Amino acid sequence: MKIKGFLKDVGGASRVTKARLEQFAKASDQPVTVDPIAETAGEWHPGTLDLVVTEIRDASKTAKTIRLQRVDGKKLPFFYAGQFISLAFVIDGKVVCRPYSISSAPFEARLDPGFAEITVRRSKGDGWIADYINESLRVGDRLQGSMGLGQFYYEPLRDAKNVVALAGGVGITPFASMAKEIAHGTLDCDLTILYGSVNSDDIVLKEELEAIKCERVRVVNVLSGDEPDWTGEKGFLTAELIHRYSAGDTTYFICGPQAMYRFLRTELQKLNIPQRRIRFEVFGQAKDVASLPGYPVEKLGETYALTVVRGIQKDVIPARADESLVVACERAGIILLTDCRSGECGFCRTKVLSGEYFVSPENDGRRAADKDFNYVHACATYPLSDMTIKIPIV
Amino acid sequence: MKFYKDHYDVIVIGGALAGLSSALMLADKGLDVLVLERHNLPGGLATSFVRGGVEIEATLHEMMSIGDRKNRLKVGKFFDDMGVDVDWLKVPECYHASLPGLEVTLHPGLKTFASEVDAVAPGSYEKVLKLLKLCDTVFNSVNELSIHPMSKVQMLLKHEAFVKTAGYSTKEVLDTFDLPQKALDLLAPYWMYVGSGFSELPFTIYSVLMADYVGYGSYIPKKLSHEMSLKMAERAEAMGVQIEYRQHVDRILVKDKKVYGVRTARGDEIHADYVICSAYPNKVYTSMIEPIEEVPPEAIRMVNGRRISLTAFSVIMILDRPAEELNIRDYSVFHGDTMDTDAIYADLAGLGPYHYLTCICHNYGNPGVTPEGTCSYSITVLPRADGWKTVKPEDYDRVKHEVARQVIDDMSEYLGVNLLDHVLEIVIETPMTIARYANAWNGCIYGYAHTMEDHIVARLQTAEAEKFIEGLEFSGAHQISGDGMGPAVTNGRKAAKNVLDDLRKKEAAQK
Repeated sequence: MKIKGFLKDVGGASRVTKARLEQFAKASDQPVTVDPIAETAGEWHPGTLDLVVTEIRDASKTAKTIRLQRVDGKKLPFFYAGQFISLAFVIDGKVVCRPYSISSAPFEARLDPGFAEITVRRSKGDGWIADYINESLRVGDRLQGSMGLGQFYYEPLRDAKNVVALAGGVGITPFASMAKEIAHGTLDCDLTILYGSVNSDDIVLKEELEAIKCERVRVVNVLSGDEPDWTGEKGFLTAELIHRYSAGDTTYFICGPQAMYRFLRTELQKLNIPQRRIRFEVFGQAKDVASLPGYPVEKLGETYALTVVRGIQKDVIPARADESLVVACERAGIILLTDCRSGECGFCRTKVLSGEYFVSPENDGRRAADKDFNYVHACATYPLSDMTIKIPIV
Repeated sequence: MKFYKDHYDVIVIGGALAGLSSALMLADKGLDVLVLERHNLPGGLATSFVRGGVEIEATLHEMMSIGDRKNRLKVGKFFDDMGVDVDWLKVPECYHASLPGLEVTLHPGLKTFASEVDAVAPGSYEKVLKLLKLCDTVFNSVNELSIHPMSKVQMLLKHEAFVKTAGYSTKEVLDTFDLPQKALDLLAPYWMYVGSGFSELPFTIYSVLMADYVGYGSYIPKKLSHEMSLKMAERAEAMGVQIEYRQHVDRILVKDKKVYGVRTARGDEIHADYVICSAYPNKVYTSMIEPIEEVPPEAIRMVNGRRISLTAFSVIMILDRPAEELNIRDYSVFHGDTMDTDAIYADLAGLGPYHYLTCICHNYGNPGVTPEGTCSYSITVLPRADGWKTVKPEDYDRVKHEVARQVIDDMSEYLGVNLLDHVLEIVIETPMTIARYANAWNGCIYGYAHTMEDHIVARLQTAEAEKFIEGLEFSGAHQISGDGMGPAVTNGRKAAKNVLDDLRKKEAAQK
């Protein structure tokens, strides 16, 4: 065969090798360490941040807003309004993570100095971190966190220009962020917040939201409790009410307690809204595992031996059947970092080496192959026997 | 608390396809291997994620070098040999080529392909088949020579076509075939999977690309590429490999030009005789070697003398209709206003508008991959990093959305359906996404550009001389076989083979 002539053809390998060596010989020997693409990625996702509490103020009679800034004084990363921050608290020497929707706006993170705020309501006895934040956290306290996480945000290529937010309780926080960003002119959509509370005292961030109201941001408080002086909307977030505040093509964002989700699914069904126009925020771990469909209630009250493998290290700790594998580790002082704590994000992906377990079907965000090989999201997985798991070294 | 052994035979940095292939091969020979992966799951870019209850393929379009069960190619055979039992699905076509005035779907099989080209470029059958057969001959030579090196004279006798085409670009060889333009257009689309225009692309690489894909078709794992990655990791662990996730290696420890271990961001110093590294040599030689004085100037010249190849931009959507209702009819479509690869390559230096789009609808290769009544559709551009390097953090979101809108609008126009009216989920992957998840240098997924100055034949010939630190091997797209998930496996095996060869040499010297 012939391409250009015998000698030229057979000399190809030598020619390309010579070309390579010449290329290297004339190249600079000065190291190039800059990677602008990694730098931009790092401005958005810098990893774990060292944070300090710089302000604590009341957000309602029962909730507090905590302002966080970076210890090094730098700006906080970019994020989308509606996303959350995962905070790692060290309480009695044990590391416990919790996700909180960021109630401040993305533009505020980029101020100099930038800040992010979370708004946390005192629990009714079942949320010890919520109580810790409300009672024990002080200005000047330091903690670690990472942001912005989660998929609950306005995506212009997917969502309608008109947004109706359906909020309950402290679920108002992502919408407070969106509202501020819209008012600031850096988020391009129209927002109507339908905010259900029992009494006017329960309304979180009431004054702040009143102050943000503008042409593009409407805030409608809806009270279900009996309050004679209330002149606004009353009752629940029913299909009728939602329909009344919707205009044309609308995307519905929903954030609130689990009971509200169940109610709203039924109400929204009545309105024949296309699936792509409805977006639920994840709702965290079930407060009552026995209520989860398929949970073997006879296991309640059991405590098992959980062997935790990290590298070549093995530790055996107790694990309650009604608490997730993450909680077992946290109680034992073994660090198992989480982000969403709702079974969705997979940050706490864990290998089960042996034992029986229950995965909440409402929070099962696992990949198909992971299910085949006994990988679980530890925040949404409950032990049903003695178990052995392998987790990352922290 | 002690998380690591005092010593390992080999530490593998990066648990993606290349690193896992190295680990499998070394464990198979009884070596004690530790894999450190910075993400919380294996596979690197060969992964998936769940969005809105749907599992979505992150990057894989199709795997080459698999072959069917009876006639495995090298990657498929390696998986079989290692006991990595992937549920492979054959992709139904090569691709649909979409150009102004030209819409053709081409299927695997050299003769099938040639006759389908002939149908639109009459009279080209013999020439196209001759070209494809030449590719196949070169491909077979490359495969054989990578296992059995031989002298130049022997090579010329036994592998004439390989030797005689090695010094030429794809364009130079294609020119000798005197093909009609339409035939040339239909023979070009796969170029995107190697990422250099035909005036630069070594014909050797083109041959491997065409012979492998057109000759044997391509494959995808049924449970997405996470199935493949996870099965590799599971096999490796079953063979005794220790894999630790979320461990970021900061430093490679070197003394007297010889590697002795690594240090993680967590602060663990771990010792080993060999280190196989998936990080780019650019990163390793400029900031990972400790002490940095151990890096010779030739190593810096080498990385500065090579051109970083392509990165990726991809819009992945889950749409709320079955594919056919949206006029999506093929697994893969290469859509452009030209198939002039050099012109397209020049275009890729910017931030768009991009005119050469690769669209994948997984449902055609993997029915049931999305819920009933929906489909998955992705639009991909593989740009050069140059344009994206200029994007400032504060402009990143705007640029990302502008580019996404442009490519979606282009394909909407082509399909005659506004895709934006059907989006259930949308994910936009950019070079920054790749930098974030895979930590790849400049977000690059393709390693170094295949050019006549960085030719695979030259890479093979100078490989020994380009080892600057004893016991340090590299694996990944930046190595000899270049980009792609199939080549990643081959690169990983090559790194492992280098370790095994070196061990054998040392054992022989001891005797």
